[in-house]
Amino acid sequence: MYNRIIRNDMFRNKAITLATILFVAAAAMLVSLAAILVVNLSGALNTLMKQAETPHFMQMHKGEIDHARLTAFAEQNSNIDEFQVVEFLNIDSARISLGDHTLANSVQDNGFSVQSSQFDYLLDLDGNVITVSDGELYVPVNYMKDNTARIGNKAAVGGKEFIVAGFLRDSQMNSSLASSKRFLVSETDFAEIKDLGSMEYLIEFRLKDLSLLGAFEAAYTSASLEANGPAVTYSLFTMMNALSDGMMIAVILLISMLVVVIAFMCIRFTLLAKIEEDYREIGVMKAIGLRVSDIKKIYMAKYVAIALIGSACGYALSFVFKGVLLENIRLYMGESEHASYADFFGIIGILLVSLAIMAYVNGVLRRFRKISAAEAMRFGISPEKPAGAKPITLSGNRLINTNIFLGIKDVLSRKKLYATMLAVLVISAFIIIVPQNLHNTISSKSFIQYMGIGNYDLRMDIQQADNISEKVAELEKTIKSDNTISKYAVLTTKTFKMITEGGLEENIKIELGDHSIFPIAYAEGTAPRSEEEIALSSLQADEMGKKVGDVITVVAEGKEKKLQVSGIYSDITNGGKTAKAVFADDSADAMWSIVAAELSDKSLIGGKVSEYAGSIGFAKVSNINEYVKQTFGSTITSVGQASNAAIIIALIITIMVTLLFMRMLIAKDKYSIAVMKAFGFTSSDFKVQYASRAVFVLIIGIAVGTLLANTLGELLAGAVISFFGVTTFQFEVDPVSAYLLSPFMLIGSVLIATIAGTSGAGQLNISEHIKE
Amino acid sequence: MNKIIIGEQIVKAFGEAGESRHVLDGVSIDINEGEFVAIMGPSGSGKSTLMYALSGTDGITSGKVLVQGRDLSAASDNELADMRRTTMGFVFQQPTMLRNLNILDNIILPSMRNNRRNAARIVEKARALMKRTGIAELEKRDITQVSGGQLQRAGICRALMNSPKIIFGDEPTGALNSKSAQEIMAILSEINADGTAILLVTHDAKVAAWTDRVMYMRDGRIAGELRLSKFDGTNIEGRAQKVATRMLEIGI
Repeated sequence: MYNRIIRNDMFRNKAITLATILFVAAAAMLVSLAAILVVNLSGALNTLMKQAETPHFMQMHKGEIDHARLTAFAEQNSNIDEFQVVEFLNIDSARISLGDHTLANSVQDNGFSVQSSQFDYLLDLDGNVITVSDGELYVPVNYMKDNTARIGNKAAVGGKEFIVAGFLRDSQMNSSLASSKRFLVSETDFAEIKDLGSMEYLIEFRLKDLSLLGAFEAAYTSASLEANGPAVTYSLFTMMNALSDGMMIAVILLISMLVVVIAFMCIRFTLLAKIEEDYREIGVMKAIGLRVSDIKKIYMAKYVAIALIGSACGYALSFVFKGVLLENIRLYMGESEHASYADFFGIIGILLVSLAIMAYVNGVLRRFRKISAAEAMRFGISPEKPAGAKPITLSGNRLINTNIFLGIKDVLSRKKLYATMLAVLVISAFIIIVPQNLHNTISSKSFIQYMGIGNYDLRMDIQQADNISEKVAELEKTIKSDNTISKYAVLTTKTFKMITEGGLEENIKIELGDHSIFPIAYAEGTAPRSEEEIALSSLQADEMGKKVGDVITVVAEGKEKKLQVSGIYSDITNGGKTAKAVFADDSADAMWSIVAAELSDKSLIGGKVSEYAGSIGFAKVSNINEYVKQTFGSTITSVGQASNAAIIIALIITIMVTLLFMRMLIAKDKYSIAVMKAFGFTSSDFKVQYASRAVFVLIIGIAVGTLLANTLGELLAGAVISFFGVTTFQFEVDPVSAYLLSPFMLIGSVLIATIAGTSGAGQLNISEHIKE
Repeated sequence: MNKIIIGEQIVKAFGEAGESRHVLDGVSIDINEGEFVAIMGPSGSGKSTLMYALSGTDGITSGKVLVQGRDLSAASDNELADMRRTTMGFVFQQPTMLRNLNILDNIILPSMRNNRRNAARIVEKARALMKRTGIAELEKRDITQVSGGQLQRAGICRALMNSPKIIFGDEPTGALNSKSAQEIMAILSEINADGTAILLVTHDAKVAAWTDRVMYMRDGRIAGELRLSKFDGTNIEGRAQKVATRMLEIGI
């Protein structure tokens, strides 16, 4: 019997059944993928950390180091199995180039090490400990992933040349969250480049009993040993390695939850509509003595079938996509040791989805208990108490069309019923507007001022030249005689030593020149105006723990110079850690200079770029828009694509939910429709009534969604943007697209869905629904 | 006298061809302007189906229905709706009211469709009708706050709003006690006296006794007829006795 019921019902509502199966399949696929990824991630992570023999405790240290004292500590502590000090040579990224790429814009602290002797090995992509020869360079695997380097590329560190011999996995610093990256060179080469940077030490321990790590940490601290830098434990390494893929898994789970919620809503509306249609029959079944559980079974059967078919499809689909998602784990960590369990956990995942659906359907069907058999048989519809909207009467209405009035009145008197639809529309409006505003903001010209770039037209970069200051002087002469250039600024970046509060020296990149010509936007304070002032990028200020008004000490021309922090700005260039000052300095060598210029006639930009590029060989000349595009054009493009995808997804959800919701309403309202039809209301009257309900709910939805997008959405987008070093963030809204086009698309979708969903209303048979 | 409704050889069948069941099996019936007619018959005899067929709220399988000379089978859905709104009024057994509107709003609803400019006049008329049917004080009440009899009076007010030529009543007193039923019949009789034709479907001989003509139905056909004099407000028991006797003669 159940087979027949399922088949009949599914064929009668083909489109809705198919859509529900699709949503269930998508949810099952995502949950299954998440389960497979979790198992693979934990397995691969274990393998990596076992093969690499990751330290259990690692203390980074900058400054003098007392090897003898550390060795003595290691010998005394009975829990220490192994101990070593690894040298990590920190070299300014601008001095490293791989193939055609320089790492100047790298956000990582890039450094060099030799292969460890006892543990904490750097591994090749097959999981073997690398043996490196002279002249060879092994590059962190993330530079393979972003296509910065290829095997066989030439590489240069300072003046020293290398060949990229391969890529390495580093169980400590693999993660993009670890701010440092280790390159591997031979001992001879290491000795040669030692003077190019500053030395840091990684003081590493492996313990006999890992569970006593807490006690060991305390012992290390209380022995007052070297500790000028962060200390990292084994569990933190594990977490950092797992985090970026873990975040992907979390995102997948979040999306799967959203999909499950949509599937639930589809099921809810379809099921409620079905119950309304069958209300009288349900009453009869109860009256003739069928138990609620028996009646439930008839309705459950279809959804058990949908859950099982959807889950099976989802599981199959997860096999199609798992390869792509496992790529990252395989690249960074290698194969998992228990990959075979993964599929089993995938099955558990889809079973959970199926069970959740069945539990939900069971929950919706609980209302059978409350149905009075007598009432159901007599009236054939569920009783409903209208609430609210009493003072608004048709007799008092002189303003709006009667059908529109009836639509709005219905929404106001059944607020609870319309709340679900409102929630969906609010979410839809939100996910349409936020990515759009984000895209519009980051692609607007004024936003580049938040990125540490002034509002100029031409940019000439002079890098890696022998005598930068002479070249700049030469360029300045040309520019001065060029009357199409209305103003220009020369900004030279130099490295200075800075004295930290602990008395240690650290490098800081300071851009010198007149910063008032092309001002940037400051998150706090102002641009440096006097020789005693300095402005810091927000990442630099965070790292140093400095605020506006604080004083820092910089060594310039051999003397200590006190500079007061005048302002803090957002910056995404040069790894985000920069500073700006105006003092004159002839001592330090320039790392690079830029000459920024504004043209009196913007239409000349293209011509000027080629003119200067042709005549001045030593500078890289670019149109500022071009520069922005190169620097983070790919980010803008991805956000743009994501924003388009979000629009499509939101519209599909809107159409789907509105359609099912309207069908449910028609089933609920069949009695009122029959009454109105008997008194001369037509199909088009009903269309207007239902469209006004939908549009009324939608208008509230758009208003709330837009409000949320501009408050909560702005905060969320700001949090995302802050990863790039941008601290001050405000949406730049394109009013046409956000307040006209997006609502228009939503209204269009809702109207189409409403007309499709209510097309049956006018065809309703009066005598069937009005007779008792 | 002019005929407001002419039904010729009306057939209404359910089910597949070959196995179909005829609920109306070639019924012919005329209703004159201002006439008060009752259709009686046992359950399943087709009396309600006939009423729905004559009012165009339900389609027919074959035959013809003319309302004021207009063939219903040739009319579009919208034309049928217009006819129901302007020419006809309906009173059902159960009060058919929208739950989220108050009594007054329910009464004016059909008249307010595309007509809100005349709202003041419409409301005024509704109030007059409510006064006439004795429910003037109930206009702001919800439909759940009044009795069945009061609701049925509201239903009659609604049916009268567009000054119809004919009112169809499907067991309009069926859900009421006998006192309320007689009160409702008195109102309908008064309306009929003003010139509106009324076609009632009923089981109750005491209700049929208020009319001018009673049609008896059995198995989808007209089985007989009884013509009565215009009711003058006296001897209802005697008239009801006649209706019942004729029913027995026909064998219903």
